[in-house]
Amino acid sequence: MAESSKTSIEVNIVAADHPVWHGTAKSVTIPASEGGMGILPNHEPVLTVIEGGTVSVVDPEGERHAFEVTDGFISFDSNKLTVAVERGRDVVRTEGVDADAE
Amino acid sequence: MGSQLALKSRIASTGSLEKIFNAQEMIASSHIAKARSVALNAKPYADAIFDAVQAVVAHSHITHPIVRKEEDNPKVAVLALTSDRGMAGAYTSSIIRETEDLLARLDADGKQPQLYVYGRRGVTYYKYRNRDIADTWEGDTDKPGVEVAEAISNALMSAYMKSAAEGGVSELYIVYTEFINMVVQKVRVLRMLPVEIVEAPRDFGPDIPDQPDSDEVRPLYTFEPSLEKVLDTILPKYIQSRIHECLLEAAASETACRQNAMHTATENARNLIDSLTRKLNASRQASITQELTEIIGSADALNTKEE
Repeated sequence: MAESSKTSIEVNIVAADHPVWHGTAKSVTIPASEGGMGILPNHEPVLTVIEGGTVSVVDPEGERHAFEVTDGFISFDSNKLTVAVERGRDVVRTEGVDADAE
Repeated sequence: MGSQLALKSRIASTGSLEKIFNAQEMIASSHIAKARSVALNAKPYADAIFDAVQAVVAHSHITHPIVRKEEDNPKVAVLALTSDRGMAGAYTSSIIRETEDLLARLDADGKQPQLYVYGRRGVTYYKYRNRDIADTWEGDTDKPGVEVAEAISNALMSAYMKSAAEGGVSELYIVYTEFINMVVQKVRVLRMLPVEIVEAPRDFGPDIPDQPDSDEVRPLYTFEPSLEKVLDTILPKYIQSRIHECLLEAAASETACRQNAMHTATENARNLIDSLTRKLNASRQASITQELTEIIGSADALNTKEE
């Protein structure tokens, strides 16, 4: 998985009672229990606990999507990110945020 | 033969009952679609949790209490999932029968079962009989949300995590109705705690695909902040998600049971109306015939006098 250096992450945000969002992203920031954590493509496989807060996703067009979530966990491997939370919702969709290059 | 008036009123009342049954049947069939979509919506989360738990299990030998309980404690918890409303045929009564069987079996094994009940019908059954119930939940048995699953799993987990001296329990059994298809639902007893991590068959219908990548090699994850913390967070969530799954399945079964029961009730009402109508016709005809005979008889009597 490491040599196929992809430039995007497949993101899947699921809440206990419904899927929240599914799409690709070039970077994701999550409220990990030990402080915020940014995930870029080709991150090592990780399974971590998250706290309530905002998951923000920057999609390949540089557009930022924000999701308000309760506590849960994320798992990331081979550029697939799953965010599983008890409750989550799509809150703000700010347009045109210039995501700085990697 | 009964009086025509009585027959007419019976036909009218059976007719209005039939309308009620028919309406209930239609309501139930519309709810089934909803129950299916709720189950579908909950599946990605359940899958995500299951994958994560698998990843953790593959990674290490877990000694978490949820997986293995060390101490010897005769107290066990039994959760029975019944319905809030009746008119669902034998749904609640078969759950209660199975629960009673299980309680008797556990008693015979020298265990001390504690009863938890979900659903108003079950609660009233046990309250009426003055049985000890550890905790009850009511409401929304036909569309259980995350909140109720959370409440149930929190209560049961806290009972499970307590030590024997504090009144904790060492095992958790769930009695629920498995949804096999629209016609067949089966009562099942599931041992939820301690966890045996096996994939549960989650089949709510033909158009839900199975996990496509279950054979994939699990990657070696790093756990943050630590494996123990991750376990502490994920295992209770796994339990909650499993409980939610049982609730959803029970809800689908309840709705299907109700639809079947109401379908039968509608047919029975129709048959009853048919046979009552036949009786009414026969009794009307009999009274007409009797009147005719009386008229003819009296006319004959008058004629013979005149001659």
